[in-house]
Amino acid sequence: MPGAAERGSELSEQIEAFAARLRRGGERPRSEDTARQTLSLLRKIVGHGRWSRAGELMDLIRTEGQRMTAAQPSETTVGNMVRRVLKVIREEYGRLHGRSEESDQQESLHKLLTSGGLSEDFRTPYPSLRANVIEAINEMLIELEGTTDNIAMQALEHIHSNEVIMTIGYSRTVEAFLKEAARELKFQVIVAECAPFCQGHEMAVRLSKVNIETTVMSDAAIFAVMSRVNKVIIGTKTILANGALIAVSGTHTLALAAKHHSTPLIVCAPMFKLSPQFPSEEDSFHKFVSPQEVLPFTEGEILAKINVHCPVFDYVPPELITLFISNIGGNAPSYIYRLMSELYHPDDYEL
Amino acid sequence: DDDQQTFRAQLRDDPDVASAVAAIRALLGFLKQDRGETIQGLRNSLRDAIDTLSRVDSSVAVSSGGELFLRFISLTSLEYSDYSKCKEIMIERGEIFLTKVSLSRNKIAKLCHPFIRDGARILTHAYSRVVLRVLEAAVESKKRFSVYVTESQPDEAGQKMAKALRKLNIPVTVILDAAVGYIMEKVDLVLVGAEGVVESGGIINKIGTNQIAVCAKAQNKPFYVVAESFKFVRLFPLNQQDVPDRFKYKADTLKTGQNLTEEHPWIDYTSPSLITLLFTDLGVLTPSAVSDELIKLYL
Repeated sequence: MPGAAERGSELSEQIEAFAARLRRGGERPRSEDTARQTLSLLRKIVGHGRWSRAGELMDLIRTEGQRMTAAQPSETTVGNMVRRVLKVIREEYGRLHGRSEESDQQESLHKLLTSGGLSEDFRTPYPSLRANVIEAINEMLIELEGTTDNIAMQALEHIHSNEVIMTIGYSRTVEAFLKEAARELKFQVIVAECAPFCQGHEMAVRLSKVNIETTVMSDAAIFAVMSRVNKVIIGTKTILANGALIAVSGTHTLALAAKHHSTPLIVCAPMFKLSPQFPSEEDSFHKFVSPQEVLPFTEGEILAKINVHCPVFDYVPPELITLFISNIGGNAPSYIYRLMSELYHPDDYEL
Repeated sequence: DDDQQTFRAQLRDDPDVASAVAAIRALLGFLKQDRGETIQGLRNSLRDAIDTLSRVDSSVAVSSGGELFLRFISLTSLEYSDYSKCKEIMIERGEIFLTKVSLSRNKIAKLCHPFIRDGARILTHAYSRVVLRVLEAAVESKKRFSVYVTESQPDEAGQKMAKALRKLNIPVTVILDAAVGYIMEKVDLVLVGAEGVVESGGIINKIGTNQIAVCAKAQNKPFYVVAESFKFVRLFPLNQQDVPDRFKYKADTLKTGQNLTEEHPWIDYTSPSLITLLFTDLGVLTPSAVSDELIKLYL
């Protein structure tokens, strides 16, 4: 059918364009926007792609997902959304197949003992699978809209009057969190500027617009000021499977200073940032950008004699974190494994 | 006793098999020959069989394997009320379980070897077949690394491990058990096996493991444990004293009934706060996830 082939190639083009945009990097995309775009693309694949059985659909999504994640490995939200959709497909298939809900999904000792033989083969075609999966993806998109508000609603439980709060760089989630608390309480915020991009400045400007008493300071002063701080609230780029963070460069310093002073470190991040990967050899989360920011090209003579790096992200180990606040509530880092098993299926951890 | 003979024979013929698996195989054989007519009778005779087996090899692994088998019987019997049908299903599932379990070491090796970087220096303790398999997998993926093994007195199990590693062309150094604190600064990660994984997420392993874990924690080195899921055991020790005596000492020592305060224990307990990650065939787990797995099975 010419119509389907047309749609097929148009879809392919859109995926290519998306991957090219990710690869180029450049402007810092909002994680929520990346997640939304990924989900829309995946919805189109489910709707217009050529497949008749759940198994084929999963293979299709997996291939496209690999292409998109290979374009920019540090954008983990793309991979997370692909895994969520795969889990949705398994669930919908299970529901149509008439199996009992969650139990059979996960590997466990119990399953090891009681299973009678082979696992699912996803080969029975169900005509209503397409519509069901698309509806589930629509639900996920709606959920995506509300994440920042859900996190901000919890602000009053954690912030109290006359507290001194420290944060680093610019996180839209933390901005919404603090603004929500500022509607009822008076407190102070110290923002570490987060060199070399100095996004802390933008954060400070936005917070002061709603009359929050804000102070900006350099990253070198973090430890010096920490003794006066009551809480540290930060955002992050990714949450890893062991409860660790991949956050903006400078966060590890902040976390160590907070641990030294026994100051609680609270991370505000929505659930779509939770990635089932562990920090290991591959370490593809690292992203280096032009060293121009660190040492400008005008310093010509020095440049020939030294190496300059400008990493964007930092690894923060789970022992330094006190609490994760996400759209589903507050959790300890040791509980992350449980949240992961609810969002993703173990067979999908390796895309 | 027949079962003891089969069990001993299995351990002897296939030195590569885990003692828990050999125990389960022996119990399955026992199940096939059982002439009873009721589930209760079957359970009682199985309990006696497990006791007999632990008199041959009193390790934690045999105990956990036995518990798992009993649980397996209970779960299956809940589904089928007719005894003979039930027994057929049990035998069939038992065989499937044994096949799955024999693949578990490979699954673990696949999960664990990406955590070994090129040029890594690894510290391991005593002789563990799972660790050996993981290092084999790392060699197969063309990684270069070197290994320090503790001598592991009183049976010098470390020498056995070193010999096996040399066969794989891995550069090995055998160190004194007392030299762990000295060597820790040179090491990138610690990788040990486990004889049992307890409910809190801690492990029971050859004596000396706890010391290594404490040193690793003090120097901020990751401490990884590799263990198959059938080693999960329903114990919750709060300290070293809580580990039952029947696991600490060899079966022969316990039989002679002499004064245990003069004996050296063979195992110790490492608490979960010292462990970074556990690699099992159920996936990579943080210590807090272990109790979840056990709850899913036993409750």
